Amino acid sequence: MSENAAEAQGECIVKILAVCGMGFGSSLVLRMTIEDVLKAAGLKAQVVVSDIGTARSEQADIIVTSAEFARLLADRGIPIVVIKNYVDRKEMKEKLLPLVKGS
Amino acid sequence: MASSDAPFQLKDLLTPATIRLHVAASDPGQVIQEAGQLLLASGAIEERYIEAMRQALQTYGPYMVIVPGVALLHARPSDGVKRPCISLLTLEPPVPFGNEDNDPVKIAIAFGAVDRQKHLQALTMLTQLLANEQALSAIQASTSAEEVMHIIAAASPAS
Repeated sequence: MSENAAEAQGECIVKILAVCGMGFGSSLVLRMTIEDVLKAAGLKAQVVVSDIGTARSEQADIIVTSAEFARLLADRGIPIVVIKNYVDRKEMKEKLLPLVKGS
Repeated sequence: MASSDAPFQLKDLLTPATIRLHVAASDPGQVIQEAGQLLLASGAIEERYIEAMRQALQTYGPYMVIVPGVALLHARPSDGVKRPCISLLTLEPPVPFGNEDNDPVKIAIAFGAVDRQKHLQALTMLTQLLANEQALSAIQASTSAEEVMHIIAAASPAS
């Protein structure tokens, strides 16, 4: 696991799951926006793309998705960032960064 | 510079033949039909892909309107995609998809992917375009497919 490798280096890498229905479109767009915002803030995280089915069991520290999928994932007990505009860096920054910094 | 994993730029997939402007569609199903027909006519998908896109919208809901006024429509590679492809419609009048935040849809973009890699570069450029409100307004006002291609080329530095 990459997390173990990171921990071995004395660094804990946050794992962010970008979720959409099928994992081929919106979640890839979401990942780009997440990576842009993290890079601009000088933060590191592992950003993984997932379809809603896989997201129900995939391990993660933070989930980023739309309101509809957030409802389906609420019972996982993982912090969820609900995004309205998938390419809006300001929205992503305001909602995601406090969670990444707090992890 | 196209890597071998993501060889397609946006301009390779979205061409004047897969752009239609000022389309009058009464509902999301008709938008998908029109956008899918362009991909079908280009030989990039099987006909069943259009129905799969309709099913995807029904199953997963209107989250596909990922940016105010823009829907990103697609299904899975296994639903009949022969090669990566993208089509674009401007909708006149705009069509509500049932997305509380981002309705109504003025630009519909449909695509077919064969995996998570080969369309990635085109999708990256598309993401830059979607973040550019000025370019999106200019596309809505465009009167020719060539004009849309020019706007996209100017808005995606990598092309």
